[in-house]
Amino acid sequence: MLDIAFVKPALPRHGALVLPVAEDGRLEGLAQAIDAASGGAIGRALAAASFKGRKGQNCTIWAPTLEGGAQGPSRIVAIGLGKPEELTPEAVEAAGGAILPLINAEREAVIAAEALAPALAASLAMGLLLRSYRFDRYRTTEKEEDKPKLERVAVATDAAPAAKSAWAPMLAVAEGVFLARDLVSEPPNVLNPAEMAERCRSLERLGLQVEVLGPKEMKKLGFGALLGVSQGSANEPRMVVMQWLGASGNNGGKAKKPQKPVAFIGKGVTFDTGGISIKPAAGMEEMKFDMAGAGAVIGAMAALAGRKAKVDAVGLVGLVENMPSGTAQRPGDVVKTYSGQTVEVINTDAEGRLVLADVLSYCQERFQPRFMIDLATLTGAIIISLGHEHAGLFSNDDELAQRILAAGKAVAEPCWRMPMGEAYDKQIKSDIADMKNVGGRPGGSITAAQFLQRFVNTKQGPMPWAHLDIAGTAWASKDLPVVPKGATGFGVRLLDRLVAEHYEG
Amino acid sequence: MLKVKLRRAPRLDPAVPRAIPVTEGAALAPPLAAAAEAARFTGRAGQVLDLPMPEGRVLLIGAGTPRRALDWEMAGGAAAAAAGKAERLAIEARGLAPGDAAALAAGACLRAWRFTRYQEKPEPGPAALDLILDDPDAVAPHWDRAAAAVRGCLLARDLTAEPGNRLTPKEFAARLKDLSEHGIAVEVLGRKRLEEEGLGGLLAVGRAAAQGPRLAVLRWPGSIEARPIAFIGKGICFDTGGISIKPAAGMEEMRSDMAGAAACAGAMLALALRRSPAPAVAVLALAENAVGADAYRPGDILRMGSGRTVEVVDTDAEGRLALADAMHYATRRLQPRAMLDLATLTGAIVTALGHHHAGLFGNDAALLAEAGVAGEMVGEPLWPMPIGERHREDLRSDIADLKQCATGRFLPDACHAAAFLREFAGDRPWAHLDIAGVARRAEAAALGPKGPSGFGVRLLDKLVSLYFEEPEHH
Repeated sequence: MLDIAFVKPALPRHGALVLPVAEDGRLEGLAQAIDAASGGAIGRALAAASFKGRKGQNCTIWAPTLEGGAQGPSRIVAIGLGKPEELTPEAVEAAGGAILPLINAEREAVIAAEALAPALAASLAMGLLLRSYRFDRYRTTEKEEDKPKLERVAVATDAAPAAKSAWAPMLAVAEGVFLARDLVSEPPNVLNPAEMAERCRSLERLGLQVEVLGPKEMKKLGFGALLGVSQGSANEPRMVVMQWLGASGNNGGKAKKPQKPVAFIGKGVTFDTGGISIKPAAGMEEMKFDMAGAGAVIGAMAALAGRKAKVDAVGLVGLVENMPSGTAQRPGDVVKTYSGQTVEVINTDAEGRLVLADVLSYCQERFQPRFMIDLATLTGAIIISLGHEHAGLFSNDDELAQRILAAGKAVAEPCWRMPMGEAYDKQIKSDIADMKNVGGRPGGSITAAQFLQRFVNTKQGPMPWAHLDIAGTAWASKDLPVVPKGATGFGVRLLDRLVAEHYEG
Repeated sequence: MLKVKLRRAPRLDPAVPRAIPVTEGAALAPPLAAAAEAARFTGRAGQVLDLPMPEGRVLLIGAGTPRRALDWEMAGGAAAAAAGKAERLAIEARGLAPGDAAALAAGACLRAWRFTRYQEKPEPGPAALDLILDDPDAVAPHWDRAAAAVRGCLLARDLTAEPGNRLTPKEFAARLKDLSEHGIAVEVLGRKRLEEEGLGGLLAVGRAAAQGPRLAVLRWPGSIEARPIAFIGKGICFDTGGISIKPAAGMEEMRSDMAGAAACAGAMLALALRRSPAPAVAVLALAENAVGADAYRPGDILRMGSGRTVEVVDTDAEGRLALADAMHYATRRLQPRAMLDLATLTGAIVTALGHHHAGLFGNDAALLAEAGVAGEMVGEPLWPMPIGERHREDLRSDIADLKQCATGRFLPDACHAAAFLREFAGDRPWAHLDIAGVARRAEAAALGPKGPSGFGVRLLDKLVSLYFEEPEHH
């Protein structure tokens, strides 16, 4: 991970010097200093390149000659921040992300952020850090010169202490995002349910309590739906329960009365062949990311623990592999869920909702949380509905839904609310069981949400609940401002922001 | 449409069933009360109790807890459905507010509509309705107003139900010309005029069919000083998909691919029948998307009416090409104050929203909110959908100004189509209703039988009456 520090302004003698400039803004601080040292050459070069500081603009000036032959940076990168009145944290983050590819060939860089408020200087660094993620564990022959070089970034600010204190929680969140991206990037022969559970266990170092349940325990509990999905695979299923008692327990050692926790539930299908209802071959390799919902929940729990959030939170992930085999579940099978409700399995490739069903009702019964949010790469239909910019948001609670929409917007993980209702619920009526696991093509994501809702409204009555269908947003097919191509970690920042805004203290 | 009579008393005819709407928990007269209790009829919405009585059948219709006209319409619809094979039906509306009484009749007419033109011996069913009232004169103006929207809706259904060999572009245009008897000016642009206007999108789509494409322009003058509201309709009389031909299964439904244009025409009729003060225009792109030796192809580049060039990717995404030209024509020639297009545009919207909401896209938050309110009020619900930056980016073409649709797997084609259309909306407030999932009912519902729904007519009529009958808007 990039080493990021906040330092007093000083001109670097090597590496890159980054000059974030607002639209039609003047060169100030280090920018002014380097311009003066170059005898005004920097300002002239920027003018010649028509660089005006507009959003999305950048300009690189190579090895400027400094007066008196002084040693200076090997490149100067000016980056446009856009209009000063539009300098939101999101906009600054995106600008920070845009810096990364321009300086990735240098080992070190200094960012002249004196003109930015300390929190915005931290946001700039956050964008840069998030964009710098790379998963290269399995590259053995990559040439040295092809690898990114950037190791250290110094953010120059006159208010380094304030920037540092804004930065500490951001760094913890970035670590959560990277963890989620690592999990999503891992190939399915490495990251099976048992391995994923082990990685959860390693989060005990952050103060999380981690329980891992295997097939025996889940059978005893009556997780018929989850076990039905996993029964075709040689890899045993797991359910992991992670608890962070930041409000009542782990925070400074003073145990208080436990709060009703907030609860996050993740779909963790470590590989999804579709089972007997097998998927077409083209693109099937992408199904390694069918555990991205669980990845996001794990990342979010790590983020909350990493920044010692003052909240009680539980994260539950159902981890299975969906394989076709002699022991696999068949279309037509009827399974009994933990809630007691029965499900006719029409399509074994609609397995995510079966896994979530058991985990949702278990979570509700055991923790009686304030609310439950599940994240899942649940349906292809959500991609056909919304594409890759927005996750689908389904909820039985308008306040929770509004909060999620706002949190997502603030951290570049936008959601779009989708409808629910009785008319859609009818589509999953079964002739033989309480429900079937698919409701046909029309409204395919909605009927999936209706299915899940049936496991929220049981025994203790309805509870505020939201479902994020992240099938379109878990993986980026091209670079985005703060996400390099590949696993996005979508959801980690959203959940963290939601907690920070509404459920701490 | 049912022949509706506003009467003070029911006929003494045992062949005429009498429907009594009962609100939840309301007291009933003694002989009915005992039967209702025995049958556990409480007046819950959706409940129906058919009671044979000496004076004829009595139909108790659960009206629930009606709060809006729509609730009374649904009760009226349930009454019509319960009437079964009876040729005439009476609905008891004494004691109700005049608007609610009119809504009962409207609902009954909507539910009782049938399309029997091609059946020699259609199943018997209600053809006439007696609405029993305390004061028919007080209800009459309410009924006239409600009937206008109903007639508009049923016109749209009639047009949509017609098969492709009957309702060709030429025949569709002829049917539209009939609307002139209601004071609607109808102009039909044929191939030559389309060429003069340079509407290369519509021309390409209709090129291979035996009957060429047309652009129908309907004008209702209204009576206030204001720019008109414009309705733009996709009127693909039959959609084979063209060279990107559709699979055979289910293709017969593609006779309804003109439901958007039909809805716009129905809305114009509704406005004219109730003498709306709002000026309105409808621009309807009529064409058949056929396969043929001269058909347009994937890869073709078209110059649209606006001058933009479009790379064709899929000839089955023809609706957006035809609509784009109609939208351009409307913005340039008619300068509307707001523009709404209705189209059975994409399969993706069915995947997204199913059959219980139409997709709502646009460029103007106020207009979108207003359309949503109108839809809610008449039982034609819309759901807002996004046009994102990526959706527009996906339409970048290597060779033309933009691509007609994107390529790949799992495409958000409804969003892509909306992003495409937005390029042709100019600076007008514009809303796009993708009605592919709601233009037909797969099964009977409260306000209509299985088949074409006429979705959009009542919504547009309500939208105009709520927001466009004053000179200023927005």
